[in-house]
Amino acid sequence: MSGQRWRILITAILVVVGLLAFWDTFKLWTMSDSEKQAMQQEDPGKLLELQQSAIRLGLDLQGGIHVVLKVKTDSLETKDASGAVERAMQVIRTRIDGLGVAEPNIQKQGGDRIIIDLPGYTDANRAEELVGQMAVLEFKLLESMDNATLLLQKVDSVVRASEKTLTGDSTAQTTPAQTDASASKTDSTADRADVLAEMMGKDSAGDTTDFGFDEELTASEDLNPFSSRLDQWLTGSETRAPWPCWAVNKRDRPRIERWLDLPEVKRLIPVDVQFAWSTRVEIRNNREVWDLYLLKRKVQFVGKYLENISIRRGQMGGHEVDFRVSSEGTGRFAQLTGANINKPLAVVLDGSVESAPFINSKIRGSGTITMGGTAKIEDAVNMKIVLEAGALPAPVEIIEKNIVGASLGADSISKGFYSSIVALLIILIFIGVYYRISGVIADIGLIFNVFFLLAVLAGLGATLTMPGIAGIILTIGISVDSNILIFERIREELRTGKTVRASIDAGYERAFVTIFDSHVTTLITAGALFIFGSGPIRGFAVTLFWGVTLSLYTAYVITKAIFDVRKTYQTISI
Amino acid sequence: MFRLLPDTNINFIGVRRYAFGLSLLLVALGIFAFVMIVAGSAELGIDFAGGVMLQGHFSKATSIDELRSTLTSQFPEVNVTELTDFQYPNAFIIKTKNPGSDAEGRAHVVRIKELLTQHFAGNEFVVDSEHVIGPAVGESLRKDAVWAVLISLAGILVYIWIRFDFRFGVAATVATFHDVLAVLGIMFLMGREFNLLIITALLTLAGYSLTDTVVVFDRIRENLKKFRSRGEFVFSVNHSINEVLSRTIITSMTVMIVVVTLFFFGGEVLRDFSLALILGVIIGTYSSVFVASPIVVEWEARRPRRFK
Repeated sequence: MSGQRWRILITAILVVVGLLAFWDTFKLWTMSDSEKQAMQQEDPGKLLELQQSAIRLGLDLQGGIHVVLKVKTDSLETKDASGAVERAMQVIRTRIDGLGVAEPNIQKQGGDRIIIDLPGYTDANRAEELVGQMAVLEFKLLESMDNATLLLQKVDSVVRASEKTLTGDSTAQTTPAQTDASASKTDSTADRADVLAEMMGKDSAGDTTDFGFDEELTASEDLNPFSSRLDQWLTGSETRAPWPCWAVNKRDRPRIERWLDLPEVKRLIPVDVQFAWSTRVEIRNNREVWDLYLLKRKVQFVGKYLENISIRRGQMGGHEVDFRVSSEGTGRFAQLTGANINKPLAVVLDGSVESAPFINSKIRGSGTITMGGTAKIEDAVNMKIVLEAGALPAPVEIIEKNIVGASLGADSISKGFYSSIVALLIILIFIGVYYRISGVIADIGLIFNVFFLLAVLAGLGATLTMPGIAGIILTIGISVDSNILIFERIREELRTGKTVRASIDAGYERAFVTIFDSHVTTLITAGALFIFGSGPIRGFAVTLFWGVTLSLYTAYVITKAIFDVRKTYQTISI
Repeated sequence: MFRLLPDTNINFIGVRRYAFGLSLLLVALGIFAFVMIVAGSAELGIDFAGGVMLQGHFSKATSIDELRSTLTSQFPEVNVTELTDFQYPNAFIIKTKNPGSDAEGRAHVVRIKELLTQHFAGNEFVVDSEHVIGPAVGESLRKDAVWAVLISLAGILVYIWIRFDFRFGVAATVATFHDVLAVLGIMFLMGREFNLLIITALLTLAGYSLTDTVVVFDRIRENLKKFRSRGEFVFSVNHSINEVLSRTIITSMTVMIVVVTLFFFGGEVLRDFSLALILGVIIGTYSSVFVASPIVVEWEARRPRRFK
């Protein structure tokens, strides 16, 4: 009976290997939260190691963030476009590392998409800002105040004309309810602003509700609709001339943006200057305002020359980002600052002005970026991270995101766990009752099947998802089928009058073709799902594939070995 | 020996005309559902249509009607469902579909949260999960799903044709399509949403129903050799179905046990998935007995080939 010995030996080896593979998972899953916390404090590395060698839980089970980015390479030249996605991935990976997520997963999908999985991390806004921003840091000079004043006058007259035709039209249509008409107009612009604000990762709550102010059109607003909404504030001291930076009431921004977007206004703005908004809403004189700058378009200096970035609390209470200028950049930076002493230098990140401090003296080796007054510590840290990781080679857009809270994940786990246990128990009892002792043998095989499946998942470093759990449960149902086919066959053979031993052997032998065929068809389905499915569906395909494959082993090697423990049978309980 | 069924000798083949009638109805329904899905008239999940899904719970008791009317003022097409088996009470799922662009989808989330904060002051809506799928991603997921279905059905077909002869291959394929279409049709009638998980369930049940058919066909193949002398094609087919009937029923029962467990204990995520599988087990069992084998019989009756 050397065949029998081999079967036992191989199974024993598999059990040992399986136990080794599954051990860490078992340890981690049986640990309570307080034990995990204790371990985290004692030895965070050990906990991380344990988590890495255990079966990973998908985002749907442990909470976390899943983001799919599209890299917009169409704006790039062909030579830059090739490899842009890879470079973007590299940059994003470095940025994510700065965030300190335990096991981020960043991979390319298709030609131009990047998938980012941050298991266990749930600060969605921050993660979005970090992966989504281009992070092109530029230093720009401001336009002179004289030119700016001239430009504002011209814009005023154009806007005045255009507003006249606009209000003229709307009064003609809705004379009795003019307030309604203008309120709904504001509503629609607010709508657009929201989309815009959201694109920039800003929350604009409250913007949409208070239209009250807009109705008070004073004479000066009528005359200079544009400039009257701009409060010039960046004057510096007496020795310094005023500079084109204005505070705009928070709720006026949509309107100003709309005006700046008019084709006739765009024509007025010289090609070498540009309007730019502040990164965040600022608080000035207890008012919430956006700052609007008029910049010279020419890029004076760029972020790639910055290194040794660190953040600290500024003297005024805000946050400051210190940097050193790399050796390639020192000459240029010194020249720039030396030539523009007492002028403001705008620090522009992705088109928005972070701040525009005055240059006090010629700067050679190092400098400081003062963050806007409302910047939080996270903003400063984000700035540091993106400056260190560098800019993305092309703009990206978030085309899919999935945020799962930890409590929802925990809820799914307990549901998955209970349904697995319930299904397994009912089937074990059902098979045991129906096929008696043979049924118990099948049950043993089934338990081995589930154990091997978990061990393989652990060994492969597979990710368990909610559909994956469904796959395990379904495996339990389908893999029993092999035993049912065999046992029914044995019963038939017994009825034809064969001996018990001959019936067992014939049952196993004759059922094999059928079992093999049925397994292959399930494997084909699982394969197709694996190739074309995404995230959770893949988890389902993986568990189904291995569950079904392993069931062939447990049915034909393990249960057969148990039947073969005795050479001859007088009776059989089946 | 504990047996659910005694030796049966039911004339399954005899009632094939009735079965064909019922099956034609189911298939027609399925084709109708398929056309509706392609035409965009069926409920597609946000993974296929693109859209926004917010799951969260209120801190105080909240009526679903109030929630719905709050949201419909700005999102006429909003879809709100209450979650009854979540760990927190007052939990809801809010969905809007078909955003015009990726940015618009993200803007929806902000607007919905804003509306809820404004309208339910003092009753905070805690977001447990947020899912935004842009239109482009929805489209590529739709494409992937179609490919997954085509590839797996083609793979199964090729395998069956290799293992059996042409007629059995066609019959098994027809039965499998029948099952998938029938479940699709019934899910459509029930107004269920079609998403990636439903497609997964359909493919799984295709595999399952095929297994059922293969088991019967294997037995027919075996019996045809045995009964060759009698020259009774219909008899051996019917006999084979009866022989494997207890296996068919017991296997269906065990699979039924697990999918019913999933339906009741698997939570909202897996509810429709398990519903599709429950339907699939019932129809798959039916089709392996009443559809697949009778097709072979009918074919043989019209163009006899084996026992001339």
